[in-house]
Amino acid sequence: MRLFDRVFTGSDEMLARAETAVSKTYEKLGDAAPVAFGSTAYYLPCIYAYLGLKVTNMGELKAAMEPIKALMTRNYRLHDVFTSGIATVLAAEVIEACKYAENPTPYEDRYHGRMTDAEVRELGVPLVTRDIPGFVVIIDEAPTDEQALALIKGYQSRGIFVFLLKGAIDQAERCGIKMGFPVRIVPVGPGIESVAHIISLVVRAAFIFGAVQPGDYDGFNKYSFERIFAFVNAFGPLEHITVGCGAGAIAMGFPVITNDTYDVDVVPKSLIIQENVDDLIDTSLEARDIKIKVSNIDIPIACSSAFEGEIIRKADMYIEADGSRMDCFELVRTKELHEIEDHKIEVIGPELDSFEAGSKINLAILVDVAGKNMQSDFEPVFERKIHNYVNCLEGVMHTGQRDLIRIRVSKTAFEAGFRVKHFGELLYAKMKNDFSQVVDKCQVTLVTDPALLPDLRKEANVAYDKRDDRLRSLTDESVDCFYTCTLCQSFSPSHVCIVTPERLGLCGAVSWLDAKATNELQPNGPCQVVTKTRVIDEHKGAYEDVNEAVRQYSQGALEQVTLYSIMEDPMTSCGCFECICGIEPFSNGVIIVNREYTGTTPVGMTFAELASMTGGGVQTPGFMGHGRHFIASKKFMKAEGGIARIVWMPKALKDMVSERLNATAKELYGIDNFCDMIADETITEDPESLVAFLSEKGHPALEMDPMM
Amino acid sequence: MALKGLDIFKLTPKTNCKDCGNPTCMAFAMKVAQGAVSIEKCPHMSPDALRQLSEATEPPMKTIAVGEHKLGGETVMFRHEKTFVNKNLFALYLCADMSDADIDAKLAEAMKVDYERISERMYVECIFVNVSDTQTAERGIAVVKKAAETGRDIIVRCKKPELAKEIVSAVPVKVLVGADASNWEAMNAVAKEKGLVLGVSGKDLSELYDTIEKLEAAGNKNLIINIGGSSIKDAFAAAVQIRRAALKDNVRAFGYPSIVNVERMAPGDHVLQAALASLFELRYGSIIVMGRMTYADALPLYGLRQNIFTDPQKPMKVEPGIYALNGADENSVCAITVDFALTYFVVSGEIERSGVPVNLLIADAGGYSVLTSWAAGKFSAGTIAKFIEEHQIESKIKNRTLILPGKVAVLKGEVENKLPDWKVVVGPNEAIQLVRFLKDYK
Amino acid sequence: MPFTAKPRKFSAGIIEIPLGVGQNAVTIGGGNVLPLYYFDNPAKNPPAVGVEITDTGVEAAGLPELAAYYEGANTPAERAKKAAAMEGADFVCLRFEGADPGGLNRSVADCVAIAKEVVEAINKPLVIAGSKNLEKDVELFSACAEVCSDKNVLFLSAREENYKTIGASCALAYGQKVGAESSVDINLAKQLNVLMTQLGVQPQSIVMNLGSAAAGYGFEYVASTMERVKLAALEQNDTMLQMPVITPVASETWSVKESIMPESDMPEWGSLEERGIEMETVTASACLASGCDAVILRHPTSVKAIAALIAALL
Repeated sequence: MRLFDRVFTGSDEMLARAETAVSKTYEKLGDAAPVAFGSTAYYLPCIYAYLGLKVTNMGELKAAMEPIKALMTRNYRLHDVFTSGIATVLAAEVIEACKYAENPTPYEDRYHGRMTDAEVRELGVPLVTRDIPGFVVIIDEAPTDEQALALIKGYQSRGIFVFLLKGAIDQAERCGIKMGFPVRIVPVGPGIESVAHIISLVVRAAFIFGAVQPGDYDGFNKYSFERIFAFVNAFGPLEHITVGCGAGAIAMGFPVITNDTYDVDVVPKSLIIQENVDDLIDTSLEARDIKIKVSNIDIPIACSSAFEGEIIRKADMYIEADGSRMDCFELVRTKELHEIEDHKIEVIGPELDSFEAGSKINLAILVDVAGKNMQSDFEPVFERKIHNYVNCLEGVMHTGQRDLIRIRVSKTAFEAGFRVKHFGELLYAKMKNDFSQVVDKCQVTLVTDPALLPDLRKEANVAYDKRDDRLRSLTDESVDCFYTCTLCQSFSPSHVCIVTPERLGLCGAVSWLDAKATNELQPNGPCQVVTKTRVIDEHKGAYEDVNEAVRQYSQGALEQVTLYSIMEDPMTSCGCFECICGIEPFSNGVIIVNREYTGTTPVGMTFAELASMTGGGVQTPGFMGHGRHFIASKKFMKAEGGIARIVWMPKALKDMVSERLNATAKELYGIDNFCDMIADETITEDPESLVAFLSEKGHPALEMDPMM
Repeated sequence: MALKGLDIFKLTPKTNCKDCGNPTCMAFAMKVAQGAVSIEKCPHMSPDALRQLSEATEPPMKTIAVGEHKLGGETVMFRHEKTFVNKNLFALYLCADMSDADIDAKLAEAMKVDYERISERMYVECIFVNVSDTQTAERGIAVVKKAAETGRDIIVRCKKPELAKEIVSAVPVKVLVGADASNWEAMNAVAKEKGLVLGVSGKDLSELYDTIEKLEAAGNKNLIINIGGSSIKDAFAAAVQIRRAALKDNVRAFGYPSIVNVERMAPGDHVLQAALASLFELRYGSIIVMGRMTYADALPLYGLRQNIFTDPQKPMKVEPGIYALNGADENSVCAITVDFALTYFVVSGEIERSGVPVNLLIADAGGYSVLTSWAAGKFSAGTIAKFIEEHQIESKIKNRTLILPGKVAVLKGEVENKLPDWKVVVGPNEAIQLVRFLKDYK
Repeated sequence: MPFTAKPRKFSAGIIEIPLGVGQNAVTIGGGNVLPLYYFDNPAKNPPAVGVEITDTGVEAAGLPELAAYYEGANTPAERAKKAAAMEGADFVCLRFEGADPGGLNRSVADCVAIAKEVVEAINKPLVIAGSKNLEKDVELFSACAEVCSDKNVLFLSAREENYKTIGASCALAYGQKVGAESSVDINLAKQLNVLMTQLGVQPQSIVMNLGSAAAGYGFEYVASTMERVKLAALEQNDTMLQMPVITPVASETWSVKESIMPESDMPEWGSLEERGIEMETVTASACLASGCDAVILRHPTSVKAIAALIAALL
């Protein structure tokens, strides 16, 4: 039978039962008999929500049957499946209402039945805040009791609220599972119609927390889809009536996952088959996009920023993993979701117990992450965090990165029970929690086996190289957006950094990739997307989009910014700049001075004097703060002719950037050893002898167009 | 709109002759643009360039000197836009009609307030003496003399030019308030003869504007605007509207500092006067005249002023050194933090609340917060060790426990390496957790 | 040529938020001019002044005038009644000082009982301030929101760490108003407002608490943050910064040195109570000038002076 027909058949069944129940109860109690679940201000909540009807007595209940039936259209379109599904649930509520009309406590003690408004609020708050990540409705019996036990315990351990219906309750009882609202496992009722109480909870959450209005059919479905993270696990063989209710769940945005394969048409994201019951939890969570936070990290030592500065001395160390002596490295890799088993921590090779105190060991830390929003560009951002995480462990020290890491574990930490596998537990928890926006699954592999490491290290180096290539290939032209950075606005209110691939934040600490990751992880945070579609002048780096962004994020203090110019609307500075460049009129070029240099410069000003003019978010044409890295960029004052304008730098700074700067000069102008043409404080600090020096060297700036 | 430094540079002789005292014409031009030096400092500017520049570089609001103090010279409506330049002054209100005993008592009380807070002397800078039209010159002179004996700058308010002339001829006065539409010519003559700042008022902003225009036309640009009378609402409106007209709408006649008398708005009500003084500190009062000045008035008002008139770019710094709190002695534990004034206040406040004796060590960190100075390398294991050495902490304090701010826990190991005799303890991340931390630690 | 001042009003405005219900309600916010610039356009709602009492009542210790004002009032409800009757008071703020787990650690059940008594006792809107302990406040507010349902109470405050539960339980579940507290940073303030609205809390249910400081204790940051928030709300029409601002001034100013150092330690400073009053008054006035739509004070003398100041500016 096609899915449409199964839904319609099931829906008809529920309707028939409801009609029977209504006429029976009506006959027995009469038209005016009160109908209510008690302890709710929302009448019969599902009917009130979806139809806007306030049912208070049997007459009104009877009258509600017509509009319910009217929802059960049969046009073989998806829409009909959904409305019939909702109507099935409403019909179920009618049946339940009849039970309560006849007897205020129709259920024996082992069933929970209807839920009070107080219970809705109690469960609703953590559902809205996602402190409870979601709830599952389990219908019927799992193939074995062991599987049922593992399933329910599995949900419970992940903080998922569990509702049980029909045979699932009997099975749970057999397994000796403690049930009740406080333990977050609720046996609702023995018949499928008691599903109405669960939907009743959902619609009341929408009333209370979402202010959705009665009768707003789409409003309720939208709210439940966006805000209520629920799903259904229905064990086969599926009855038509269950499928009918399932259609209602799906209409509300709750996927149904079943182990039944007979006569079930898969609907992606909505009706899913998972034959392997052991994988039901993962499949279900993934289908409803539920991410579980790790609340406690299973490690025997403390982890806190207070231990970040600890140094483990040689005499105190139990083992050392030193990338400069042994094969050691750390690597974050992006994988496909199906390639990862979440929370798998594997140690390949000997554990710490096999080593003598004071040993040097090989160690590879491979962190594999997957997620629908994960991008390989985030790998280095996450990888750099490994240092912070590991360093926060009490009795563990971490320095360096990539294959130049050095990790020491102290004897005390070892004695407290710390082992290599605990790196895995720590990193798993941190990755899942700190990057929950993008990391859906994470597994950590720790390799200490000396035989495997040389090859693994080679592979890691391929990955590092690939990343470096990617970084090198990242240009302002090759990306479709830039980012703002407003981290410094607390002390420099009108400043906005525009971070591009070729221009890091002027503090030198925020790269385009960092900004991108920050944006993904904190969508309302300091790094916002700046599109670059409305070009004013690509050569100078002028964009309507950029101007709009600076205007918006400086609260109107700044009108426009030209990214590659220091003469025309140069980018402002907060005050954190690593360097400042300033025009030196006599040589037709610019000088650059770094924060560490305290002497004077050929323009007659020190770093501090220049800083007072360029900081604070003000535009001072001819002067600009920037990061050290930007000096060798092809975009460095490109509008004025680029790096060929640089005529003077403090020697220390020049030495730091010379390699990259020479390479850029070679590429742009064909000049070899360009840095030799640039003066420094050992050559001169005054403009006259600067010009003499530049002439002697044939510096290109002297021949360029006047800067002003 | 003020000229950018480069526009000014283009008009300089570009000879780097250094006659202006700056090493290069560029450095000179940038300073002129910032308003730090006057364009006249360059002896080689062509008359044409000078005219062009002085017009364009003339600030929207003049800077007026009152004794050692400068007033006005503001360029922005809100301090976050750049900075407020010259802090407001406080004046004590006296009236020649008061009894001598009252005057003596008020003066004595106000003179007691004289203290230092973050390297700034806090005291009543001016004495404001009101001499009513019916008062005799003799009495006026006597009271002003008494006020002048304090050595503070004297402001005389008098609307009768002849009377005013007699007084200012007899006693050195800095500001003469009392010019208006009716008497401006004669008052102007008095003020000009003695080189006094002249305070101008008007029955409304229009009349005030006209009077100032006339005074300016008569060659007097050494003015201060006397804002408002007894109406709080009108005074506040005038203070804002005058500042806004000067800075936003380029109304040159209103480009002067202001004087506002809160004693007149709330006679005898010191608490309301304090509220008003606070309002006018933020909203454009340059001299605030108060009915009294006690420590109760001064502590919040001067503290607020010190806050509001800091340059957002240049955080307030406290002196590096040892601050013994809660009776700490050489055996008390040491806690170190940075010299950013706000950090100091918050940290010392919390330590004081804890009641635990602590030697608070304030290191020279460039006046930045803990994380900022750490990131800039100004608060590192090296600078901490250097501070301990330079301030001879080890000879002054016997205790060898040093509490580090939790935010720089990362420095612990390095500090231990540099200061092997010390036990380094990581403190809490936030100052508010200090009370609990210190109590538990004890 | 006569001078005419150009009025400067904006097309954007501050959101109006009523506190309390019925005849006792007070509306804060509204208006489309910079703070207190009523000469540009008359005030929609004048800034409100709240009177703070604590559950413990210890704040009056050592302050004879304050103690005298509350003399005879032995329970929080009795003190709340007196607070509501104070000259110039628009609303009452009940601060659960005693709920702090680091202090008295009063149980949530006890606090709820107090809140219920207080809200029943007064004829002015109620603001409930917590213990500043993030976890405790969550529990406390959720429980108080329930017993004060239909009273339109404002809770101070939700912070980035606990806004979800407080937002959901107070604003969503019981329709109360929630303070969004950030620490003197316009971007953090905005971010929290965005997060709260994403949770489903309407902007009409949010009052910003931008953080504060006593005069002299970094107030420049407070002033600049408030001024920038108002400029962004009005000039830039930033809808995520148009919520009114409330500042609990008293709890900041009565804990600084100037307000706690006894006269015996600092004889030249004079009366402790007078110092505290002026510290509170000066700070409150500066808050109002910078952009506060409501301030919370403790001392009757300060309340009177600030109410007089506001009245004089209307």
